[in-house]
Amino acid sequence: MRDWTRRHVLSAGAAMGAGLALGIRPLAAQGADEIVLGGSIPLTGVFAFAGIGIHAGIQDYLKIVNDAGGVEGRKVKYVAEDTGYKVDASVAAFNKITSQEKVSLYYGDSTGFSKTINPELERRGSILMAGASFASELNDPKKYPLQFMAGPDYSEMFGILLRYIANEKAGAKLAFVYSDTEFGRDPIGPSEALAKTLGLEVVEKIVTPPGSVDVSTEVLKLRRARPDFTIFHGYVLAPIPEFITQAKQMGLASRFMGTFWSMDNSTVERMGEAADGFMGVMPYRYYYDTEGESPMLEKIRQMRPEYQSTAYLQGFVTALLMCEAAKRTLAAGKELTGANLKAGLNSIKDFDTGGLFGVPISIPGNSVPVGRIYAFDGKAKQMKPASDWIRLEA
Amino acid sequence: MTDWLFLTEVFLAGLGSGALYAVTGVAFVLIYKATRVVNLAIGEILMLGGYAFFGAAAGWHLPAWVALPVAILAGALVGAVVERGLIRPMLGESPISVFMVTIGLGSILAGFVQIVWGADPLRLPEFLPSAPIFIGEAYVAPKVAYGFLAAMVVVTAFVLGLRFSRGGVALKATAADQAAAYSVGIDVPRVFSLSWIVACGVAAGAGVLVGAIGGISPTMGVFGLSVLVVVIVGGLDSMAGALVGGLFIGVVEAFAGTFLGGEYRFLVTFSILILILMVRPYGLFGTHEIERL
Amino acid sequence: MRIGTLKTDYAADEALFDTRLQKLLILLACAAAVLFPFVASPYWLFLACLCAINVASATGLNILTGYTGLVSLGQAAFMSVGAYTVAVLEIHAGTPFLLNLLVGGLLTALVGIGVGIPSLRVKGLYLAIATIAASVVLHFVFAHWPLTGGMQGLSMPPARLFGLALDQPFQLYWLILPVTALMVLGAANLFRTRVGRAFIAIRDRDISAEVLGIPLLRYKLMSFAVSSFYAGLAGGLWAYFFRVVTPESFPLVNSIFYLAAIIVGGMGTILGGILGAVFMTMVPELLKFVAGLVTPFYPDALALLAPVRTIVFGALIVGFLIFEPHGLAEIWRRIRRFFHLWPFRT
Repeated sequence: MRDWTRRHVLSAGAAMGAGLALGIRPLAAQGADEIVLGGSIPLTGVFAFAGIGIHAGIQDYLKIVNDAGGVEGRKVKYVAEDTGYKVDASVAAFNKITSQEKVSLYYGDSTGFSKTINPELERRGSILMAGASFASELNDPKKYPLQFMAGPDYSEMFGILLRYIANEKAGAKLAFVYSDTEFGRDPIGPSEALAKTLGLEVVEKIVTPPGSVDVSTEVLKLRRARPDFTIFHGYVLAPIPEFITQAKQMGLASRFMGTFWSMDNSTVERMGEAADGFMGVMPYRYYYDTEGESPMLEKIRQMRPEYQSTAYLQGFVTALLMCEAAKRTLAAGKELTGANLKAGLNSIKDFDTGGLFGVPISIPGNSVPVGRIYAFDGKAKQMKPASDWIRLEA
Repeated sequence: MTDWLFLTEVFLAGLGSGALYAVTGVAFVLIYKATRVVNLAIGEILMLGGYAFFGAAAGWHLPAWVALPVAILAGALVGAVVERGLIRPMLGESPISVFMVTIGLGSILAGFVQIVWGADPLRLPEFLPSAPIFIGEAYVAPKVAYGFLAAMVVVTAFVLGLRFSRGGVALKATAADQAAAYSVGIDVPRVFSLSWIVACGVAAGAGVLVGAIGGISPTMGVFGLSVLVVVIVGGLDSMAGALVGGLFIGVVEAFAGTFLGGEYRFLVTFSILILILMVRPYGLFGTHEIERL
Repeated sequence: MRIGTLKTDYAADEALFDTRLQKLLILLACAAAVLFPFVASPYWLFLACLCAINVASATGLNILTGYTGLVSLGQAAFMSVGAYTVAVLEIHAGTPFLLNLLVGGLLTALVGIGVGIPSLRVKGLYLAIATIAASVVLHFVFAHWPLTGGMQGLSMPPARLFGLALDQPFQLYWLILPVTALMVLGAANLFRTRVGRAFIAIRDRDISAEVLGIPLLRYKLMSFAVSSFYAGLAGGLWAYFFRVVTPESFPLVNSIFYLAAIIVGGMGTILGGILGAVFMTMVPELLKFVAGLVTPFYPDALALLAPVRTIVFGALIVGFLIFEPHGLAEIWRRIRRFFHLWPFRT
């Protein structure tokens, strides 16, 4: 959007103005061979921190692709609308974008949106969608045949954490702390069952109301349970730091862990003292990771010299997988329909993402069940790998 | 560790958060007493205080003991502007209209904060001592303990001030009968202004305490909803009611959160609210003058 | 120019539309509404449906708040009752959608009566706060009751008419708009009856109303029932429109939105409810449009959109209350008056 020329803007503006006046929007003229990636992006609202990163990530990857000649010679055009992280606004954005463009790929911003729009996706049958939601519910190719997620779902994230814990300390005691939201509750049930099969004991489950600030009573509960590991889920930052600080003051020897959306390096850094030793699961390499072979990260570092968030990487990787699916579909000589795109995506096997995922990935279903445990190093002020890449068997 | 110890700890933690409700409730009551305005924007003014502190301490790198007055002054300034600009023109309108004005104001403040500081949740720089505090064997989170102390000092100062200072008496006179107060030479408009200024200053100060414990975010204003419950339970026009109501709700929330689960907190407090409205709409300590049929 | 409205019988005096021009305008509006879906893009149809749903709900709130003087901050919660009822019926019973909508509305009316009971003890602000409390309780119930799907909510199949699934804005438009039109017409007619006039009497002075022989208890609860019936229907339409209902679909801020809509539109006039709801629904879209225009010159415009939207929302409430307490309907009336008196008064 940023490199629109003035003429584009004027003509688009005039067209839009005319459209507004008549109550009609003409289908925007577009090159017949362009592939359109639409997006309901939460550039504002409670999820804005992630949305801004995602937005930049998608743009950057498409720039790389288009500079290299596009997907099978076809350019990819990105059309995004802000949603404020509200389902109805996301649906409105979807309707707006799909009525103006012939959209083949779509990025959605929340679990609620992904669920709401699913029947519409199936009806259209022309779009492959992914998004910011890693909800376990969406990881069901039968119910959500035209969607995927660029990483493990929340239950799989817990699965990776639990496997790591079971390796570290057999029979460890766990506590789950999660917010009373759809996001927070998503993986709790299945993860409890998984913990049992791994021989771990879930000694406490603490629910916090959304937006709650004072956690002192919850910390008391946590102390009483004396877990060896505490896993937070459904938060971005607050109230994790306060939890950890108070728990440490009480002399609780638990280790603290988080899932993808609370794993961004700059967010963890903002936890202050509480950050030291904070662990969590992350499917991608961090921006500054120079250990492994990762030409894609090199490119990102060239394009953007300053640190980029995990949300940026999420957007980047999602766009990458979408383009790969489109490429495979076109290379097979098939039309860009939702089902063909999904088939193209599912044909990805032992695929190297340029080092963004630490290991070659396969996407047999709707998710990429790969991840690694990172722990925050207070001295280096960076998340450092604490385990090898863990791949869940499907 | 006995169960009694645990119960005590939960109780103390509840008192700690209750004290913050109480101090915000006092600010709320002050405005209501003087101007009969139910100020639903109190939560947003509290939030603004937290952000002002953040701006001063993290942005300008001022030490905490300077940043705190800056935050309180910012709150007071907003109070003054709001009273003159929005509340005074609404004088004589129906209470509902004024109530809606404060809701609109809350929305404006929340948007303003997002424009200046962004939507991300932030943490205030640490300024309270962090050595753990034990009362007997019971642990109290230090921030909560200091928050409690500060809140109690403010509330006590208010209760005493209302009783013994000239301003307090003028306020009481205004609350009792505006025309009569005016005719004995009390500058009623000034009482209006001052009450808003002081109340918003106090709320901003409370915002710094709340922010120190839980961090600040543009959605912090929901704290105001809990405060609404507190003042209704205590009685809209009673300082003592705000104190008792605040501590009571804080403790109830703590126990509900511990024994029923965090999701029950709001349910329990609002159920108490409904009960109070049905049985004793003027609250525990409020004046029995509430319009009813 | 119009000199005056000369009426020769009571029927003319009671008529909803008193001039031929007005009738003509209404006919034109109907014709435009019928033609609209054939020329508009799905996006505009989507907005039209959303506006219609909001109009339905705002009109309901207007009956309670604007006409009866009982302030409610529970409109969104009432809508959620209707939405959940419709979703549950659609999923488990598969009954026809009109029946579902009706059941949703009636059930919501019952809940509304329950919430209205405190209005016998308290009024004004206290009542508003009681409705907030009721919203919290309803939210909790929906978020933790297995039948309503907990935090995940319910996804439901589309409405069906003769085997045809209504899942497109184009088709839904034909469901939503007529229902809304009927509701608005019903509301307009309500205030030509004894019940509606009793509501107005209660708003203007409840004690005198009682003296006039209006049983306050019955009529206040009736107002709650009618208003929540409207909210329930609107919620049901909402459910068919989005086809997913979660506890987070109807936050408190939506209740504030509806109250703001009738304030901005003009309390206590049917036109006000319509204008306000449409206006408040379109403002965010307009802002989005402006942000889109500004983006090339100021790339961060999109990021500022949400806070600006929040500020504009608040500023509209405050501004209308201070400068135009009777809302858009009053502005509209003034414009009409200008043309009535033109060219004598300029």
